[in-house]
Amino acid sequence: MIGEPILRLQNIEMSFGNKQVLNGINLEVGKGQIIGYIGPNGAGKSTTVKLMLGLIEGYSGKIEIFGKDIADGDYTYKKRIGYVPETAELYDHLTAAEYLTFTGEMYGLEREEAEKKAYQLMFQFGLEHAFHQRLTSFSKGMRQKVLIISSVLHNPDLLFFDEPLSGLDANSVLVVKEILAKLAEEGKTVFYSSHIMEVVEKISDRIVLLVNGLVVADGSFEELQQQGKEGTLEEIFNQMTGFNQQVEIAERFVEIVKEGRVHE
Amino acid sequence: MNDFKSLRVLDAFRWIFEKFDIDYPIMRKLIQLKLTMDSRRIPAIFNGQKQKKEGNQFIKSLWLYLFYGLLLLTPFLFLRNQYMFASSILFTVLMFITITTMVSDFSAVLLDVRDKNILQPKPVSNRTLNAAKLMHIVIYLALLEGSFVIIPLAVGIYRFGIFYGLIFIVSIVFVSCFVVVITALTYLFILRFFSGEKLKDIINYVQIFLAVAVMVSYQVMAHSFELTQMNLQYTFTWWHVFLPPLWYSAFFEVLLNQDYSINMLILMACGIVIPLLMLRIYIKLMPTFERSLSKLMSDTVRTKGKSHFFEDWTSKILCRNAQERTFYRFASLMIRQEREFKLKAYPQIGFAIVIPFVMFFNEVRIDSLKEAMANENVYPLYFSALMIPTVVHLLKFSGAYKGNWIFRATPISNSKMFYSSTLKAAIVKLFLPTFALLSIVFIAMFSWAIIPDLLIILLVAIMMTLLSYVLLNGEVYPFSNSHELTQDNNTLKVLVAMVVIGAFALVHYLIAMIPYAKLIYMLILIIAVIVGWRLVFGEKKNHGHS
Ligand SMILES: Nc1ncnc2c1ncn2[C@@H]1O[C@H](COP(=O)(O)OP(=O)(O)OP(=O)(O)O)[C@@H](O)[C@H]1O
Ligand SMILES: [Mg+2]
Repeated sequence: MIGEPILRLQNIEMSFGNKQVLNGINLEVGKGQIIGYIGPNGAGKSTTVKLMLGLIEGYSGKIEIFGKDIADGDYTYKKRIGYVPETAELYDHLTAAEYLTFTGEMYGLEREEAEKKAYQLMFQFGLEHAFHQRLTSFSKGMRQKVLIISSVLHNPDLLFFDEPLSGLDANSVLVVKEILAKLAEEGKTVFYSSHIMEVVEKISDRIVLLVNGLVVADGSFEELQQQGKEGTLEEIFNQMTGFNQQVEIAERFVEIVKEGRVHE
Repeated sequence: MNDFKSLRVLDAFRWIFEKFDIDYPIMRKLIQLKLTMDSRRIPAIFNGQKQKKEGNQFIKSLWLYLFYGLLLLTPFLFLRNQYMFASSILFTVLMFITITTMVSDFSAVLLDVRDKNILQPKPVSNRTLNAAKLMHIVIYLALLEGSFVIIPLAVGIYRFGIFYGLIFIVSIVFVSCFVVVITALTYLFILRFFSGEKLKDIINYVQIFLAVAVMVSYQVMAHSFELTQMNLQYTFTWWHVFLPPLWYSAFFEVLLNQDYSINMLILMACGIVIPLLMLRIYIKLMPTFERSLSKLMSDTVRTKGKSHFFEDWTSKILCRNAQERTFYRFASLMIRQEREFKLKAYPQIGFAIVIPFVMFFNEVRIDSLKEAMANENVYPLYFSALMIPTVVHLLKFSGAYKGNWIFRATPISNSKMFYSSTLKAAIVKLFLPTFALLSIVFIAMFSWAIIPDLLIILLVAIMMTLLSYVLLNGEVYPFSNSHELTQDNNTLKVLVAMVVIGAFALVHYLIAMIPYAKLIYMLILIIAVIVGWRLVFGEKKNHGHS
């Protein structure tokens, strides 16, 4: 482990009703790492992140962030966390300026400071013209950028990004990738999930693969390559999740689509 | 998905819809979907302590209307052989309830744009979409009115025979049709002729206007009979043509009393022709309605922020720490900008403005105007506080309720400050302006001497806000539940509020007779408000510390 542990999950289990979603996750994350959290749809990635933020409750096991158990009821750890949720849900009758200032202030920033910082960050994303427009009129990528900005306004030490790249165009993806790398250089810890394997492969110090609520692989890309076979992360992902039927599935899929007659 | 009984009833009218070029199977599916969603609605998780069972709250609250029907309608049916008076009162009450529900609860459904993204790309015609929306409302309205009239209907049939019952049912169908269409048409015209940001405001003003208009016409209706005369004789005047309840009362007069006078026939004809004509116009314009709705989604391009100097100023006075101030401003923005919230809240403001005057002039009818003025009668102002329970309750909801993760993701020391500041914002942004307006008029009518009374009423209103929160919301995060269709029974809340407010008004009335007692009462209220607020929202000790 490099540096002090920022985040420690011990034997985390979680179920919704009688459906077990996480089956004992153990994870330790040090300062300044970029962790790529990957896994098939429904593996429990977002659930893990929401647990760590206290958005959902009712887990068993122990979650320590900045060395403190979050079940203690001390909310202050959240001051040093930035979060981008998976779906871009915002109070969207507000303008970007209003929303960002509001979130900044909730994290303890001064009003003017929050607004100024928000504007500058929006400017960097080329969105300054939309600063005073309501979020309802924003495109998906624009909303995503607003969320990213709102998560870093207060200069947090730990970032939880749940699919931060979703909806971003190729250029913006480049920018965000760079931003993540720079933030890690500054000693921030970035914990993000993504489905774009090429990106995860390139920018992660460490990759954690979750399948059915269990960590099945954990290590740098090189380490994963040694464990499994050679190849890209995508190929490793396919192998580890025991997946090689893409051709058959696709064939059957299209067969079903073609079935029956075309409706006029 | 369940197959709902109401849908099976609708099936019987399939031919009508098809006649109007509506894709019936699709419309049926859409309504089924909406009804299913209504029945699945559960309160947001982790918001508040009590977990309600999932289910359609609206339907569960219907039994109350049975009760109202009993209260309001039955006595009139015992009058003998004079249909005009009894039935017009009955229809007035019925229309009143229907229009108010329509304006304050169903407007949001009618002007809903959320499912546009989901439904518009599918091959569904605008006409069908709109019909589904309308029928969704009609089903609820039918249930509501059904429970409302069932007892009077039974009594009516028992006393006047089955033929009476038949006319009754037919006229109720016409009345409801008339109300729904007239509301929809009003919106249609606004949507048609205005656009952009302005449109959103105008819709809210129209709602206030409708609320006021309904109140006023209710009064006019009551006045069209001279109550002082013992025999309650009805005499026709030309402007009665504009009073829909009379149209339908004429049905009874003509068909049961065989009164074939020209006046009665004209009234009856209005009752049939006008709703049908309006329905016809509406159906013709329906596609335009859906198209114009998209105007509600647009936002004008702005490059400069609005200044929020009023919010800043009030937040400094009312909130103690920075977090609370932040949230106060946030809540003010939500109250000012969220259309769905405004759609439901503004009619209440309309009522709050007009009811005190209605009450005042009722008084005037009994005493003379001079006497009423001399009395410095401020008690009607208590009626403006009736809006409070409804408005406070509305603070639970938001169209973007899913955004509430932000409240939990941010470091908040005292989560009670969420509602504390939201309630403050609601008082300042909604109640204070209304009350200020009323106060000015009342001061103008009486004298400056009523200012202590006004202050007392204001304090009572703040008390009411707190009480309403404790009784109706009692949860941690505001703006965190889905609006959707009304789930709760507004009328009951207002009724309970009326009792509480009545009690306060009574105390005020008694106090006013003792010299200097008003000041002491005011002090007691101030202390009660402060202590109450502390008790409800006071900081509890947190386990951890930073
Ligand atoms: N509120 C909920 N109630 C019931 N089950 C839930 C709830 N939220 C998530 N789940 C279940 O938990 C499992 C994990 O969900 P989660 O959102 O964590 O997946 P994920 O790994 O983030 O998937 P994706 O890659 O699609 O984002 C899924 O099977 C999902 O059905
Ligand atoms: Mg996910």
